[in-house]
Amino acid sequence: MPQNTALIFGYNDYTFEIEKNIKSHYEFIHIFQLDAEKEPKDRGEYKIYSFDLSENWDDLSASVNIDTCVAFCLLEDMAENIFLTISLRETFKMLTIVALSKDKESTDKLMLAGATRILPTTQTTANIIVDMLEKPIITEVLHGILYEKSDLKIVQIKIDNDEFFNGKYPADIDWSRAHGIIVLSVFNDDMSSEFIYSSKEKHHIIKSGDVFVVVGYDEDIKNFKKMIGSKVD
Amino acid sequence: MQKHLLVDIAYQINTSKRYANVKHFFYNLLENDNYKYKKFFDIFMITLIFSSVIILVREVKSHVNDELLFFNTYIVSFIFLIEYLLRFWVSSSVTNIIIEQNEQDTILGNKFQLLKSLKIIAVLKLKYVLSLKAIIDLLAIMPFFHELRLLRIFVLFRVFKLFRYAKSIHTFTSVIIAKKFEFVTLLIFASIVVFVSSVLIYVMEANNPASPVNTLFEAIYWSIVTISTVGYGDITPVTEAGRVVAMFVIVAGIAVFSFTTSLIVTAFTEKLDEIKDTKQIDDIAKIKEFYLICGYESISKEVAKKLSINNRVIILEEHSLKVKEAIKDGFTALNYDPGSIESYKKLRINLEAQVKAIICLSHSDVENLYTALTVRSFNKDVYILSILKNKINRNKLIFAGVNELFYEKELVGIIAKEFIGQPVAFEAIHALRMNYKGVDMQEIVVNDRILESFVMVGELENKKYRVVLLGIYKKNKKRFFFNPLDSTILEVGDYLLVIGNTQFIKSFSKYLHKKG
Repeated sequence: MPQNTALIFGYNDYTFEIEKNIKSHYEFIHIFQLDAEKEPKDRGEYKIYSFDLSENWDDLSASVNIDTCVAFCLLEDMAENIFLTISLRETFKMLTIVALSKDKESTDKLMLAGATRILPTTQTTANIIVDMLEKPIITEVLHGILYEKSDLKIVQIKIDNDEFFNGKYPADIDWSRAHGIIVLSVFNDDMSSEFIYSSKEKHHIIKSGDVFVVVGYDEDIKNFKKMIGSKVD
Repeated sequence: MQKHLLVDIAYQINTSKRYANVKHFFYNLLENDNYKYKKFFDIFMITLIFSSVIILVREVKSHVNDELLFFNTYIVSFIFLIEYLLRFWVSSSVTNIIIEQNEQDTILGNKFQLLKSLKIIAVLKLKYVLSLKAIIDLLAIMPFFHELRLLRIFVLFRVFKLFRYAKSIHTFTSVIIAKKFEFVTLLIFASIVVFVSSVLIYVMEANNPASPVNTLFEAIYWSIVTISTVGYGDITPVTEAGRVVAMFVIVAGIAVFSFTTSLIVTAFTEKLDEIKDTKQIDDIAKIKEFYLICGYESISKEVAKKLSINNRVIILEEHSLKVKEAIKDGFTALNYDPGSIESYKKLRINLEAQVKAIICLSHSDVENLYTALTVRSFNKDVYILSILKNKINRNKLIFAGVNELFYEKELVGIIAKEFIGQPVAFEAIHALRMNYKGVDMQEIVVNDRILESFVMVGELENKKYRVVLLGIYKKNKKRFFFNPLDSTILEVGDYLLVIGNTQFIKSFSKYLHKKG
């Protein structure tokens, strides 16, 4: 079932930034404010709901179809955020939970608490600051690609027609000259990932179901997709 | 007329670049501990002193050949004399004094007072000549008059001269000076005890034929030996009264001894932080290049950890507890306020030459802004990167002179978007960033050496080395060319952005630089 609802827990600067970036992906966004936080205020198009950490989530289950939801746990107090994550996981076994973490210790605890994905703020910030200082050009290019500030795009493409590749290995194909794109890595159907030139050994023959991570211009990517008969991004 | 001539000469000397350079060089060599060649000069002088002392000591009871005596009497003494004169020269500026006096007199409409300026010069130079170090230096030259056998006692001063070059002696002296009052009190107490006990023992023992104490000098000698707890035993009291005095001196001796020990230990403990700080500042002044992190918070810890893999990192933090934490984490941290100009002055950091970038990572925009503004007030060029805690302060920080801002919350939003939209692509970039499975993204700068062998992109053979050439960044055009054509011409200053296994990239880079 497609996920069309975002549940954002926590009402702070992270909430605003995440809501701004994900609103095009979701049909519905519900923002929840912890009782202990500031006086609730409705934010533009969204109504701000309140919740407390002792919730049993009955109201939530009744108001939304939880199978179509993704939860963002964005409480700034890490102990509360971990508690919230564990509380949601305990009630909703299959819910995708994306949780904010401010340090390595909280990351480990959030994983144990059942978070599907972590947004490690401190580590990511530190990594990017170091990259900005040590590899400024790479960082600029990478940000341009990743955050759509340039014409270049990074996309994932699923292979639906492996006949086109005729039993070849990813490293055998001159992607840049033949298709104008650069293939960075391949996700196999067994969910293991491999960077295209990570070793000199050839492990994997291209087959249907593989997902390629590709960098290129829009037009070249479209042509490539057409060529390999890809239907889904 | 003569006065004018003198002022003219003073101006001429003072404006001469060559004269200033020569004087500056000798000043650095003799007095500036941070001058890189000073340590070589010091080692040379120490070697000279040792060799001279060895020759003089050997000469006391053995024959020393004439060449060595000549070396010691003339060459070493001559070098010491030159050093003394150079120190005398750089101790103050005669020309400056004359010029200042002349300018002052001109402003006040008076005639140039030559005598007054000569007086100032004489006072300053005399002050130098009478300083302890200068006296020792002068006395160390005395063996020059080797023929006057009496003056051989001055060999001692050559040993004393060593003090000038040993930094630990300065530290010890400063520690003693810090506890001057306590040491003077102790000295007075010890002197009174020595005086009273010497007189008493003399009175009690001098008339007894069996007693070894016959003179007042012997009594003083006995008192000092006893009070210092050395107790040779060559002189001992024989009368009962004398032994009572001895008991009193022994008890007083223990008090003096323990008081002295505790004084020195306390003084050192109190000065220890200062000594360590000074040592650290000296060490930092010698570092060629480093990143300066202002503020020690959770992000600073991570940034410092990553940067210190390939670079030197110095942390400035005004809270002592955080400094302790940073030191415990293995970083070089100093307890100085990064928002104070005074801190940079004390630390003697040369921002232009030494600092690669200043990274403001305090958890308060106010503090980061203050730091950036402080740095900009005396340096316009150093690169400043700061984190932004509240979006509303973005323009203020840019106005304060920050070159690059990093807003962590915005990043979290963008990451969330990527993760939701394209989880696989997100994983790939994340893996690249984290150097996951040894795959990395690196910049290779095209230099003259590479250009000698490779003219076009098609000649690079990156595929042979299993390296992906993502593109070229043309620095002169400030533009990134993705997936460049084989016919793209390479230029000096271009950056090749490559992706691949770290080892493969290393071999590829080696290949680019080697082929010729």
